[in-house]
Amino acid sequence: MAKYKTEPLKLWNKAKEIRQQYYKNYATAHEKGGIRWAGGAWTFDAVPAGLGEDVYSLTSEPYGASVAWNKNFALECQEAAEAFGFARDLCSYMRNYWGSILIDKYVFGGPFPKPDFLWQDHICCSHAKWYQNISYLEGGIPMYCVDMGAGAYKPFAEVTESQIDYIANQLLDGIEWLEKVTGRKFNDELFFEACWNDFRSTSRWAQICELNRAVPAPLEEKTMYSLYVLATLQKSWKVVADFYDELYEEVKDRVDRGIAAVENERVRVITDTQPPWAFLKIFRYMEKYGCVSVGSIYTYGLEGMFVYDKEKHEFNHRPLPPKKPETREEACRMLADWHMCKPEYQHFVHPEYKTLMMDAICKQWNVDGVMLHYNRGCEGLSVGIAEVRLGLLKRGRKVMTFEGNMGDEREFDEARTVQRIDAFLETFGIRKSE
Amino acid sequence: MITAGIDCGAKTVKVVILKDDKVIGKAIIPAGIDTKKASEEAFEEALKEAGIKKEDIDKIVATGAGRADQPFTKDSVTEVSADAKGINFLYPNVHTVIDVGAEESRAIRVDGKGMVMDFAVNEKCAAGSGAFIEAMARALEVTVEEIGPLSLQYKQEIAMNAQCAVFAESELVTLVHQQTPKPDMARAIHAGISDRIVSMARRAGLEPDIAVIGGVAKNPGFIDCLNKDLNTKVIVPDDPEFVGALGAAIAAKEI
Amino acid sequence: MYIEEFKKYYEKRHEYAKDFKKKHPDWKIVGTFCTYYPEELMYAAKVLPVRILGSHEPQNVTEPHIFGMFCPFCRDVLAQGLQGRYDYLDGIMIAQSCLHVRQSYTSWDLHIPVDFRYYLPMPHHLQSARAKDFLKAELEKFKKALENWTGNKITDEALDEAIEILNENRRLLRQAYDFRKKDNPPMTGLEAMYMVVSSQMMHKKDHNEILKNLIEKELPNRDLGIGDHIRLMVLGSENDDVEFLDMVETITSNPAKFVIDDHCTGSRYFWNQVEPKADRLMAIAERYINRPPCPTKDWPNRLRLEHDLNLAKEWNVQGAVLLQQKFCDPHECDIPIFQRAFEEQGIKTLFLELDVLVPVGQFKIRTEAFLETLSSEDLF
Repeated sequence: MAKYKTEPLKLWNKAKEIRQQYYKNYATAHEKGGIRWAGGAWTFDAVPAGLGEDVYSLTSEPYGASVAWNKNFALECQEAAEAFGFARDLCSYMRNYWGSILIDKYVFGGPFPKPDFLWQDHICCSHAKWYQNISYLEGGIPMYCVDMGAGAYKPFAEVTESQIDYIANQLLDGIEWLEKVTGRKFNDELFFEACWNDFRSTSRWAQICELNRAVPAPLEEKTMYSLYVLATLQKSWKVVADFYDELYEEVKDRVDRGIAAVENERVRVITDTQPPWAFLKIFRYMEKYGCVSVGSIYTYGLEGMFVYDKEKHEFNHRPLPPKKPETREEACRMLADWHMCKPEYQHFVHPEYKTLMMDAICKQWNVDGVMLHYNRGCEGLSVGIAEVRLGLLKRGRKVMTFEGNMGDEREFDEARTVQRIDAFLETFGIRKSE
Repeated sequence: MITAGIDCGAKTVKVVILKDDKVIGKAIIPAGIDTKKASEEAFEEALKEAGIKKEDIDKIVATGAGRADQPFTKDSVTEVSADAKGINFLYPNVHTVIDVGAEESRAIRVDGKGMVMDFAVNEKCAAGSGAFIEAMARALEVTVEEIGPLSLQYKQEIAMNAQCAVFAESELVTLVHQQTPKPDMARAIHAGISDRIVSMARRAGLEPDIAVIGGVAKNPGFIDCLNKDLNTKVIVPDDPEFVGALGAAIAAKEI
Repeated sequence: MYIEEFKKYYEKRHEYAKDFKKKHPDWKIVGTFCTYYPEELMYAAKVLPVRILGSHEPQNVTEPHIFGMFCPFCRDVLAQGLQGRYDYLDGIMIAQSCLHVRQSYTSWDLHIPVDFRYYLPMPHHLQSARAKDFLKAELEKFKKALENWTGNKITDEALDEAIEILNENRRLLRQAYDFRKKDNPPMTGLEAMYMVVSSQMMHKKDHNEILKNLIEKELPNRDLGIGDHIRLMVLGSENDDVEFLDMVETITSNPAKFVIDDHCTGSRYFWNQVEPKADRLMAIAERYINRPPCPTKDWPNRLRLEHDLNLAKEWNVQGAVLLQQKFCDPHECDIPIFQRAFEEQGIKTLFLELDVLVPVGQFKIRTEAFLETLSSEDLF
């Protein structure tokens, strides 16, 4: 007998369609005289939006993950990158992406579509290098990259004007650069609108994540991956911002009616870092125990905008700014301030900040245990992860770790991971239903 | 109540039969490639030692990597739980148990009741397991039984990069060419694996008393290095390779 | 002679620091990670920066703190702290560099008590015109933090004096390196490493004294009889691997010597000076922005590649050994491109990965084969 009612998400197909539309827009941009650019999922995509309404992007992390889904294609890419001389332990998204260029194949079909320019930001050691090498491999595509390394955000650190200026001024320089490389005049109105959509998408996604505090959880993490991904594609796209408004209503309705994502929810966990994409079935395996992953700082805070409240030890969504930007300078400063606050960015300065946020999530989301994915595929999100583990244990949380790789299945041992999950879930005194 | 635990490891199958908290029969058989056959043989032998028939057993629980391949029971526990229960039964004061098996090693922190508090498992690499010592013994042209005692005769400690079994073997070749005495090389091998195991155990958290189980626990060279690295004297049960099977037999009482 | 002094200080780094503290009770000692720390400010506040390096020994204490996919160097560095070898430090500081070594700092911060801790967000986009204003503002904050901690006011005079001491060290090291351009270099690569790294562990005044004597009295006439040795460059990530450098330079089949390097434990550390100007903090900021970069800060253009090819040419290099700490992402992103560029210039390359302990036997075979290919070119 099921403990809770469950039903499929009505907006599921719409999320899928938006994703397909996004990749198609990029591939066909040139047919309509448009521009296409490439950059990371963290990049300030609102800025190139000022170049016109026919400007389309390809974000590299979701692309790398899409490749990872396709095991044979991924292997072909990885082997091509290794044959070129790139080390096997580098970011697996990056190798999947470089490999696609080297074998000249787009994972969605056809030859790899070359971007007109590269617009990236730099957070981990590989972010800028990734695009430096794309430019190299593609024979010299113009590249601009904004350094985010101005320090942690409040309340973890003081944030001074000069820190915001550093990022905002790089964006201002970037706008001039964009005009130069595209020969187009920058449209500030389009830019302001895109900024606003960015704030809307990321604040609203955070609110959707907050709904998962409910017991039973209306969403489980495997589904959330397919929803949060839209913000990694283009958070400044109106279609994405509108979609999240709609999704918020649906998820809220599920909470109101007590609709569960997993009908036998008994143990609630959170994970950390990107999952091994080719093995998402481990989430289904956990469900046999009644174990549901209600999210992670990754699904919540890579695109969702939250602030950590030190006094209350709480992790809550960041409300929209009081008003839309009205000048270019103001827009750039608002963007800089907004994205410096990104939860997934803070641990790049110190793992303790992530520990605090994750511990607050455990408290507010009614979490019983934490599963840390020691992800060999991403140094950026794995940086400090061992200290996060110690920090959570110190705070009395139950923690397990498993090793893997988000994008290179050669580094994931499914049988062993399942064994670890068994051993971990046994400690909650729950048994698997066959 | 009579229960049995069957531990289907990578190299061997172990069976323990328990009657009213006393071991009345046990057996160990090389696993080979046919776990089912090895399980049957081991079971047969243990029954013989216990002087009972299979029908006399109330409950059987399996553990180990190959636990799904034995024909006796669908009930199973993970090696982690089995080790914890087994060691707690033998030594209630042990709070950390280090299990070094043929292809995997793990460290488990246990509470006073045999419940798992935390655990760590070695990375996907032979360098932290019994297979490493076997490979190195082959390179030194001694048996697995000989390499431990041999290492205790060392005169000099040599640092060796034992992060990888393949690299370590070729480092060994270099040492051979430098005419390094065999006991020194054997010592370097054990110090290397001990470093790796202690590293892993620190992840689970070290809380005394510490016990070492699994086949490799019988190697005195390894235990000597562990004692040095941990700055303590670890406990080695009499039949260290049977602790997992014993834990499974205890779990059978609880299911 | 003088050249041997450096090795002594390298090996007795802790004794030196403890002794320094005894002799200079008004000074504090701060351990640093990476080489972007603004030494001028620290000297001006009577704070001796000492760079924390590993000890190249097996250890089992860092596993709970740093995930195994990060470089062996950052673990070796942290191990020194966890094993209590730097118990004399009054503080630690890092100027933001790669993620790997950042973890040595953050774990140190979490587990090893010290009086003073500072994270300086050193910018990565050094090729942006915006970097210097930002760094200057951060130096301003660091200056205040140092003043508050030590109670020493950092005056312009103190800064000028510190700049001069450090600049002198950089000038002298460059002069010593210039000697290595000679056909018969008076210094081996290993000796050069000791020379540079010891400077990261000593007060520069002490170091300058030895350097001056070395340059005036020893190097001009020192003959190692290595004029016929193959001239090698070594470049890549942190490298103070004595065993490795020594192994290469003692190969007898086709003898070779390192004549130039690009490492943070080598030329990259001291290459450029602070160009004095009235705005001292800006002058200092510009020095760190304009120095030969670590690859993590070298984008969008690869300025380091240009710099390294120039070094190879000026020091008349025949082959280049590209080294990296295992798992060093910034270098791994550069190495295939560097190899191609070097080969295009007719400089053959050998790529090797460093671990805490190098497998000397294997590396020797590979290096010998590499040297053979270099010398066979001369034969035919």
